[in-house]
Amino acid sequence: MIAGFNVIVDNLDYLLWGRAAAGEPGGVLLSLLMAAGAAILALPCGIALACAAWRYPGLVRKALFLWAELIRGIPLIFVIFWMWYLLPLMTGGDLPGALTVTLALAWFTAASVMHSVLAGLNALPAGQYEAALTQGFSTRQTLWRVLLPQVMRNILPSLVGIFISLLKDTSLAFIVNVPELTTVAGQVNNRVQIYPAAIFIFTGVVYYLLCCSLEQLAKRWRITRPAL
Amino acid sequence: MPALDWQGVLTGQPLQWIVSGFLTTLWVTLAGVVLATLLALLFLLLRLSAGRFGHAVVSGWVSLFRNTPLLVQLLFWYFAAWNGLPLGFRDVVNADHAWSILPGDVWWFTPEFLCSAWGLGVFTSAFLIEEIESGLRSVPNGQRDAALAQGFSAWRLFRYILLPQGLANAWQPVVGQYLNLMKLSSLASGIGFAELTYQVRQIESYNAHALEAFTVGTALYLLTGVLMGMLLTRLGPRAGRTQHDCRI
Repeated sequence: MIAGFNVIVDNLDYLLWGRAAAGEPGGVLLSLLMAAGAAILALPCGIALACAAWRYPGLVRKALFLWAELIRGIPLIFVIFWMWYLLPLMTGGDLPGALTVTLALAWFTAASVMHSVLAGLNALPAGQYEAALTQGFSTRQTLWRVLLPQVMRNILPSLVGIFISLLKDTSLAFIVNVPELTTVAGQVNNRVQIYPAAIFIFTGVVYYLLCCSLEQLAKRWRITRPAL
Repeated sequence: MPALDWQGVLTGQPLQWIVSGFLTTLWVTLAGVVLATLLALLFLLLRLSAGRFGHAVVSGWVSLFRNTPLLVQLLFWYFAAWNGLPLGFRDVVNADHAWSILPGDVWWFTPEFLCSAWGLGVFTSAFLIEEIESGLRSVPNGQRDAALAQGFSAWRLFRYILLPQGLANAWQPVVGQYLNLMKLSSLASGIGFAELTYQVRQIESYNAHALEAFTVGTALYLLTGVLMGMLLTRLGPRAGRTQHDCRI
């Protein structure tokens, strides 16, 4: 038990930020960077796609739904694999592994955000839209000034759920050997060999604390803001 | 785009790998689904009958397994928990048994299969508990009161009154969780379990037909998901029917 604890302490800086001093962030730091990057990309993209699907209910919505079904119908690992092989073909150069995984996660998460925002838009009373139109708002203004502010507040719990999943999904970078927390824990385990329980329980605890604090943060944020 | 060569994937050794991996994915999904369902029902019963203690245990279970990544859980089960088991038991599992072979030449009594099925089952049970719980919440209170008034015990109340209606209410999300389990079984390749994703990657390193192999893998997962979804939706209980019966 004590020895297992020492393994964590000895490798703590490597587990927390990898070789950040040498310009190669890893461990928890890289997990957070990837999750934040994917969230920053996925949120606006997902909202824009939801607005498109809401505004053009015909072919555009069908196409977007099909795209989302395809993305969500296959394992996330396959989205990462596809990005891994197709991005270099398209861009012509090699991208850093962490960036590729971040883009794959953003791609995957955007589909979930789209569905969530669209559900929020459909759940609003139709009177909101009609009232805005009679007041002379354009469609874009209606969305941006009237509908989306309400929607975002209503779907906050669902968005938090999506981002918690995203944070957990960064662990998939293990499969393509990008040195985030899970990969780094695996490396330490391979090197030390005899304390797998200590290493993976520590890894689990870190993810657990990160996910719970994200949830708490969102709860607090929601409480301190008055209802719209 | 490089030219695609399907011969390198759909013949000979690679084809065998894909078929074997696909069957393994199906078997581990089945095992995981059964395990997850049993665990979820067990914990729901515990929550209903064991008062505050049961409540705390179930909340802890749900919170623990929902808030950590499945991959880390699998690594823990495979590298830590497995090696913590008694050596005698591990030797029995590692030995060859004729009864361990499932149709399709899939060996189920192996550390990889057991850890994958257990990990997937435990992870999914945490989500199933929540889904079924919300289905149970939407069963009208009168149902419970009426059953108690008729002298139903806690177990019979759960088994014959609450569960059938709750499950019917929650069937769609439950099916979604089962489909999720099927897709998440791809993560078991991380502990060296030879399911579809593992075999697809093996082809990649065998003859570098990565794009073709990934296309076949993607198609198989999509197809399995669609078929499984249709089958489960058809087989499952329907909310409308039960509720209608109850209201008469």
